[in-house]
Amino acid sequence: MKNAAKKTVIAYRKKCQAKGTGLSHYILMDRKAK
Amino acid sequence: MARARSRKADPAGKSVRVDGAAPSRGRYVGTGNGPAWQPIDIGHPSYVALIEPDTAFWALVPREDLAELALGGRLVKAYRQKAAQFAREIHELRFGLKPSAVYFNPTERCNLNCSYCYIPEKMRRRGEHMSRDKLLEALAILKRYFQATLPKKTLPQIIFHGAEPLLNRDAVFAGVEQYAGDFHFGIQTNATLLDDAAIAFLRGHQVSVGISLDASTAAVADRTRRNWEGQGVYRQVVDAMERLKGYPGWSVISTVSSENLRQLSQLVDFLHEHEVPTCLMNILRCTLPRSRSVKPDDARAAKYFLGALDHAYALYRKTGRKLIVGNFANILLAIVAPAARRLMCDISPCGGGRCFFALAPGGEMFPCSEFIGLDSFRGGNLFSDDISAVLQSEPFQRVTGRTIERIEPCRHCAIRHFCGAPCPAEAHEMNGAMQKTGAFCEFYEEQVRYAFRLIADDKVDAYLWDGWDQGMQQTFAW
Repeated sequence: MKNAAKKTVIAYRKKCQAKGTGLSHYILMDRKAK
Repeated sequence: MARARSRKADPAGKSVRVDGAAPSRGRYVGTGNGPAWQPIDIGHPSYVALIEPDTAFWALVPREDLAELALGGRLVKAYRQKAAQFAREIHELRFGLKPSAVYFNPTERCNLNCSYCYIPEKMRRRGEHMSRDKLLEALAILKRYFQATLPKKTLPQIIFHGAEPLLNRDAVFAGVEQYAGDFHFGIQTNATLLDDAAIAFLRGHQVSVGISLDASTAAVADRTRRNWEGQGVYRQVVDAMERLKGYPGWSVISTVSSENLRQLSQLVDFLHEHEVPTCLMNILRCTLPRSRSVKPDDARAAKYFLGALDHAYALYRKTGRKLIVGNFANILLAIVAPAARRLMCDISPCGGGRCFFALAPGGEMFPCSEFIGLDSFRGGNLFSDDISAVLQSEPFQRVTGRTIERIEPCRHCAIRHFCGAPCPAEAHEMNGAMQKTGAFCEFYEEQVRYAFRLIADDKVDAYLWDGWDQGMQQTFAW
C-alpha cells in the first residue's frame, strides 16, 4: 500500500494598495470574470 | 542585544508599537510579546488553521503537526520576521484610509416597499427629491473636497443609492453628464425604471449598474420585493437583466432572508445563465425592526449560503465561466490579501464615516446609508458644514470608533479581522449598543471556515475574478 503524500503547511499572503471603499449594497468591479 | 518589537492593539483599539515590553522579547509563543496563536478547527479532514489575530496572519497546518508547529520552529521564526510589517498593514487598513466614495441618495422616495428596507416607510412614501441644481451643487462641493484630499490619479466614487434613485432620473443623469471624468459613477436601482433610454445612457457613460433581485422565480422573489400595491416586480427586473447582458459593469444584489434562503442555489443557476458578471448575496441587515421578521437563523443561513457557493463552483467547473459572489470573495480576500478587500463592512472599524459616507437628499451626511433613518447619526450637512469637520463629528466618531477590541466576544475571536463584527447600525438598533455584535455572528464564522477549506483544497482562484492578484506583492510564502 502506498503512503499518502505528506501534507505540508499552507501559508501565504499578498499585498496591494488598499482601495476598499464599498459597502455591502454595491460593488464597483473593474475586472471582468470570464 | 536585539530588542523585541511588536504591535499590539491598545485599549482604544489603536495599534501601537511595543518595544521590548516583556523581558522575554517575544521568545515564547503565547506569553509575553510572543505570537498569540489561536488554533481553529476549519472542518477540514487534514488541516487546522493557526491564526495570529492582531496581524491577521494565518497558516494551515496538518492536524498531526499542530502542536509542534504552533509552539516553535521555522513557522514561528518566519512569522516573527514579518509580524511588524503585517501589523502595520492591518493598522493602515483599519485607521489610515481616507474617504473616497459617497453613497448619494438623490431622493427619499421609492416605488417599492420591500420588507427589509432600512429606510423608514414615511420617507419612502412621501420623502423629498434633491433638486437638479442642488445635486449639481453637491457634486461640485464633493469634487473640490476630493481634489484636496485624494491623490491626483484617484477618482472618487459616487454611488447613487436609495430609496430608488431613478425616481429622480433627470437630476441624476445631469450630474453624471456634467461631472463625467471627475468621478466613477455607479447606481444601485430596483430596475423597475430601467427603460432602454436609461440603459443606453448608463452604458454610454460607463456607469456601473447594480440591480436588485432576490430569487430565480417570481413566486419567491416577489415575497420580499413589491410595490406599494403589493405587486411583485420580478418580471421587470428580469427584463432589465436581459437588456444589460454583455455590459461588463453590472451586477445583481440579492438580499438573503428567511424568504429566499432555500432557493439560493437556484438563484446561482439563474444568475449564471443570465451571464451576470458579479453578484452580491448579502445577508439582510436587521437595523429596522420590520426586517427582523424575515431574519434567518445563522446556522440555516450558513448552510444554504455555503451550498450556493458550492453550486457556483460546480458551475464553473462544468462551464469554465465564473459567477463571482462578491461579498464572499471579499472575505476570502480579507484572508489571502487583506488590503485587497473592496467592501468595507467586514472590517473593524467598518468603512462607514472613514472610507465613505452617505448623503441624504437634503444634504444631511451620515456615516453610511444604513444610518439614514437614524437621526442621531447625522453628522452635519454638506451644504452648510465643512466635510472634514463632519467626519470628525460625534455621530461619525461613534461609528469610526467602534473597534473590535471593544466588543465582546469579538475582542478574543481569532477571526476578528476577517469578519469585523458588522454592522454597527444593527448592533446599535437591534442589540442595544455599538459595542455589541451585529445580527449574524455565526454566519460569518462559518464563511471564514469555508474560506479556509477552499485554501486548503487550492480552490481560491475559482472564487475570485481572473487576475485578482495581478500587481500584488507576495509578502509571505511557505
